[in-house]
Amino acid sequence: MVDLVQKTQSALTIKDLNTENPRWCVGCGDFGVLMGFKRFLVEESILPHETVNVSGIGCSGRVPFYVNTYGVHAIHGRPITVAMGIALTRPDLKLFVHSGDGDALSIGGNHLIHGIHKNFNCVFILYDNQLYALTKSQSSPTTRKGHPTNTQPQGTSLDPIAPIRFALGLGASFVASTADWLPDHFINTLKVAYAHKGFSFVHVLQRCPHFDPDNFDNKSSAWFSFLTHEKGIPPDKRLADKTETIVHDPSDEAEAFRFANSQHTHFGLFYRNPDKPCYDEMIRQRIVKAAKRQRSTILDSYKI
Amino acid sequence: MDNKTIHHVRVGRFELLMDAGFGAQKAGDILIRAFARIGKYVFIEPMIPAEISPPARSRPALSGVIMRVAEFNLENIGNNTDVILASHEVVLDRRIDDEEYNPNCRILLDMCDKDLPSATYDNVLQRIKDLRLHIYPFEVAPGPQAIIKSLAGKAKNMYYLGMLACIYNAPEEFVINEIKLTFGAKLREDVFKKNIDLFGYGYQYAKEHIPFGYEVKSDPGKNSHEKILIDGNSALSMGVIDAGIKLVSGYPITPASSILHTLAKVLPSFGGMVHQAEDEISAIGTAIGAYYAGTPAMTCTSGPGLSLKQEFIGYATAAEIPIIIVDVQRSGPSTGMPTKTEQSDLLSVMFGSHGDNAKIVFGVFDIIDCLYAPQLARYLAEKLRLPVFIMSDFQTANSYKVLDKPTLFEMNDSNGISEFVLNHFGIERLPEDIAMVRTEQAVVGTPGKMRRVTGLNTDETGSVNYFARANQRSHTVRNEKIHCVQRALKQPKLFGDQKDGEVLIVGWGSAKGAVEEAVSYFQHAGQAVSGMCLRFVNPLPPMLKEIFSRFKHVVTVELAYGDQYKHAPLAMLLRSATLIDVQAIVCGATGRPITPRSIERRVKELFYG
Repeated sequence: MVDLVQKTQSALTIKDLNTENPRWCVGCGDFGVLMGFKRFLVEESILPHETVNVSGIGCSGRVPFYVNTYGVHAIHGRPITVAMGIALTRPDLKLFVHSGDGDALSIGGNHLIHGIHKNFNCVFILYDNQLYALTKSQSSPTTRKGHPTNTQPQGTSLDPIAPIRFALGLGASFVASTADWLPDHFINTLKVAYAHKGFSFVHVLQRCPHFDPDNFDNKSSAWFSFLTHEKGIPPDKRLADKTETIVHDPSDEAEAFRFANSQHTHFGLFYRNPDKPCYDEMIRQRIVKAAKRQRSTILDSYKI
Repeated sequence: MDNKTIHHVRVGRFELLMDAGFGAQKAGDILIRAFARIGKYVFIEPMIPAEISPPARSRPALSGVIMRVAEFNLENIGNNTDVILASHEVVLDRRIDDEEYNPNCRILLDMCDKDLPSATYDNVLQRIKDLRLHIYPFEVAPGPQAIIKSLAGKAKNMYYLGMLACIYNAPEEFVINEIKLTFGAKLREDVFKKNIDLFGYGYQYAKEHIPFGYEVKSDPGKNSHEKILIDGNSALSMGVIDAGIKLVSGYPITPASSILHTLAKVLPSFGGMVHQAEDEISAIGTAIGAYYAGTPAMTCTSGPGLSLKQEFIGYATAAEIPIIIVDVQRSGPSTGMPTKTEQSDLLSVMFGSHGDNAKIVFGVFDIIDCLYAPQLARYLAEKLRLPVFIMSDFQTANSYKVLDKPTLFEMNDSNGISEFVLNHFGIERLPEDIAMVRTEQAVVGTPGKMRRVTGLNTDETGSVNYFARANQRSHTVRNEKIHCVQRALKQPKLFGDQKDGEVLIVGWGSAKGAVEEAVSYFQHAGQAVSGMCLRFVNPLPPMLKEIFSRFKHVVTVELAYGDQYKHAPLAMLLRSATLIDVQAIVCGATGRPITPRSIERRVKELFYG
């Protein structure tokens, strides 16, 4: 058995997962996410034909096209709805949802609420570059206040939505945060998210050098901290000596809220509740529990 | 009463009108079941307010049931009513507005509230007198009145049930048996007995005081088959099971919700699931996701939900993911009249989603079509990998009738569709190989065949492609799928034996029963009138132009608005498809179904005036 696993592991390479060259801008944070995602698939030896990537519209929406698995590039804001259909009917598949900040928190906000609430089994990756990029720089729900965009040239007027607070507030069973320029941390985050059964909410800060080059300072590391725990996500080794590391028990919801509410940026596992029931499993259980009937009997209760 | 006049009829239509929440439909249901058991054919249409409990004694509170009973198979709710029983004058006044009474209609009006400080009784009685209808005011005697009071007014429907049962000569024991089957297990014994007593009082009152009765003839010879009593949405739900559809995803909306209700109870027993989504968009997204993953899936909705789903419908066309959409049409635009019938979604279904997008659209004629439609929809959706619409409407969804127990097919895969079903819908089996935009269509999980789908244009390899030739090719391939269905459609049948002549009446979907009856009327009168009803509206069946050209006038009847400056939707489609001057002659948006008589009146006015 071990041999077989090792053999499968050695069988899958990054090359197997490549398709075409991504059509993203030079320096785009999505390159880091894409490479990290492929490395994660390889390290976890997740079979490509059992993997489905579902995305919405935007720069991140193209991710499924750049990974040689099954994939659905759906419509704007709705990848969660499509993923739900796959989760309900095909629990054998490994399901990943890729959605941007506009896709997930603006046009698709309602679906994100209910994806989190229903806690169906998937890894949900929120690509947060804090603006609309593919449509050429408009304000998104996470754009920082004051930042000028093409729709709000005087500066974005509202305070941004805080995705981690949003997810925690809705009772998410898994909430983690990471960044595109921290590959080890990103991959470790995906591994922990993948191991969790339920809607694993992974927030990824993603650079957009084309429209907002100054947003995330990936050259320094003092402005964020790692949340770490023996059951959580290890700090990025390459940064561990420069960045503050805070030990946080991911089962401590009140403490998770405290970190989420602070103005400081934290990467790591905020919260995990392995006991929250999964909607998709509950719906499938209805079939298991129902008394089986023959289709030839469907009209019997209408007989006169 | 000794000198009762008994009218012997082949078909009778009567209605019970009450305030919402007082059980008019329940009473109607019981009576119709009793009739069905003694071998009559029945057709029943509930009148349902859009609100749950509108204030009693108000016009919006009208909740009722129209019943049609006959010795022959009924295809529609008919024209006009012979007998109306109304619980008070306000609901009666409201219903009279619909003008669906016969010239000699007999109205039984409960005068229970006559002592209220209101002039409306006098006004309504005067209105009925002016219309020269017959009015029979009555009062519930103190004995039964006390029982009704003890049940908080709730069981008056049983008294009325008794009266109607007597007037239409439904055997008491059959009706009591149906009351038992309906309430027996649900009501406390003493409450149940009070219900039975009230039924008896009503029956006795009508026997002694109502000077007329009806006897609907029976033809026992025709009634040897096993029978079912079923409504359109239930038939469609059972059809979903028979078609092997395993996921039904929807969002609450009148009048499609009852499909979800029915299936939520039973679908798990057949290995399927009902998913209540957070909104209409999500409902179709989830069905599309399931179908992409290889599970036959469907979503059901009505007008407002249809508008919301449009983007995903175009997506399914482009991504080549099969999807079945049931549109139970209601009156629009916007929220419109949720509990009234209309056929006005035709154009928004055909042309709703942006860009040129291919889809199959067919309407159901009647309740039996509802049962078989999901099989045809699944077959077409999977063969073509396109959205397929089943177009029903409030009237078809909520009416129920007795029919011979239909054959079931227990479909397991799309190629296994039965010849019977294909034949029923007038379509040949499609060619084995139908070209797709993308050559590879492997189902998720197949090793070595990984593929991505998208709403972006792609070439045949599935790669995103914005070049001129590739996009033109995609359009050609998608439209060719529609054309191959058109080639498979059989020539639509004309009703009766008039193959050419003066007037051709054309309807679609649920107009069938009324068109057929009107045509039969004219042909019996020796007039050169024929008619047809279309199921397929996209694509339209071939040879329409040839058929239309055999008639001097081609007219449509449809439940969608049109006037002298605006062609009604079906007329517009037929005009553009045939270049024949098709005019809509019945194209109202009243929320009431098309009646045979309205067609007859308009045809006479226009062509035999």
